[in-house]
Amino acid sequence: MKANRTTDNNGGLEKAISYLLIIGVVLSVLLEIAGIIMLCRDSGSIAIQQDSSVFIQEHDFFRFIYDFLRTGNGNAGIWLMTAGLIILILTPFLRVILSAFYFAFKKDRKYIFITFFVLVALTLSLLLH
Amino acid sequence: MLNMLSLGLLSIVVGFIGSLTGIGGASILVPILALLGVPLKEAIACGMVAIIATSSGSASSYVRERIANVRIAMFLEMFTITGAIVGATITLYIAPVFLYFFFAAFLMTSFLGLKRSIAEYVPPSTQDRVSRWLQLDGSYFDEATKETVDYRVNNSLFGGLGMLGAGLAAGMLGIGAGAFKVTVMENILRMPPKVSSTTSNFIIGMTALAGVSVYLSSGLLNLTLMAPMAVGTTIGAVAGGRILNKLSNRTLRILFYVIVVYLIVQMIYKGITAL
Repeated sequence: MKANRTTDNNGGLEKAISYLLIIGVVLSVLLEIAGIIMLCRDSGSIAIQQDSSVFIQEHDFFRFIYDFLRTGNGNAGIWLMTAGLIILILTPFLRVILSAFYFAFKKDRKYIFITFFVLVALTLSLLLH
Repeated sequence: MLNMLSLGLLSIVVGFIGSLTGIGGASILVPILALLGVPLKEAIACGMVAIIATSSGSASSYVRERIANVRIAMFLEMFTITGAIVGATITLYIAPVFLYFFFAAFLMTSFLGLKRSIAEYVPPSTQDRVSRWLQLDGSYFDEATKETVDYRVNNSLFGGLGMLGAGLAAGMLGIGAGAFKVTVMENILRMPPKVSSTTSNFIIGMTALAGVSVYLSSGLLNLTLMAPMAVGTTIGAVAGGRILNKLSNRTLRILFYVIVVYLIVQMIYKGITAL
């Protein structure tokens, strides 16, 4: 049952990641619910829509955030749903950044490299289209 | 008929199952949406939201309770993201049809570890140098057995290659490949079932994230599909994340194998129809 353990369990990192994920999902869910309610109120329907206004198309994720912050959106329901989606997508990205800071603070070189590799690969993938 | 309310309720069930088994949930949700009349490509694109929401929703509990192992996840993410990027790139040039059969065959190997994964976890007697150097070990308190389970990873480089394959499959087929990851973790890395499922849950969000821009540029992301899916799967995943540790390994593995059988059938069907 028992194995010889070689490390402690990074309690600080785990708590920090857990809080970040909770904040991210709660904020995202609240924005999505508010957006759904407003859109349903405006359209008078709870149907899945196929209107072009509910579709998102962008060059890449960072351009998507930039354009969202720069231009906003006319419809409050769609604006709230888009904001919720951005937060949902950003949450796991931010947890990698948080981990990188943690390992840097702990001067854990092996995991600084691993986390940095993940961060660079992830950033590149978010720039792909 | 499918509307935002019924989709939200359906997503709660999918998020719940996904969080307990370590699969993203999109592989369950997408065929159902397609059956209910949602265009398939639109359902697949929006499915990535279900994967990310399931991952973040459940991992908030798993990480706090130290069932999911952050170090192991970070190490494996290097491989799975690289695989996902390569997969998404080469899928433009190579037909993924044979990957469906490869994926189905690999999932069948998960049954090789059936007896071991249902029995009490026994850590490997030895640990390879790389795993030891990377400190790939840990412990968690199992609420079902009321025992602290200490574990350590073995064969980390082979496991990394397995994760590269999982990432490749995810990038080429547009899936989270959670079942693939759980199988690698249990059968190659020799991790306990609960740690495998929860660490897979932690990783799948990252693999799905790697495909976000591809889907954004496709113009297939429908907010009225994604919003109820995000809300439902998050609620389901948070609920699943709170009960996983109270369930026995046996119950969790039975649920996992039921899903694996469903996925094998789905993969073979897709492969045959794509030939």
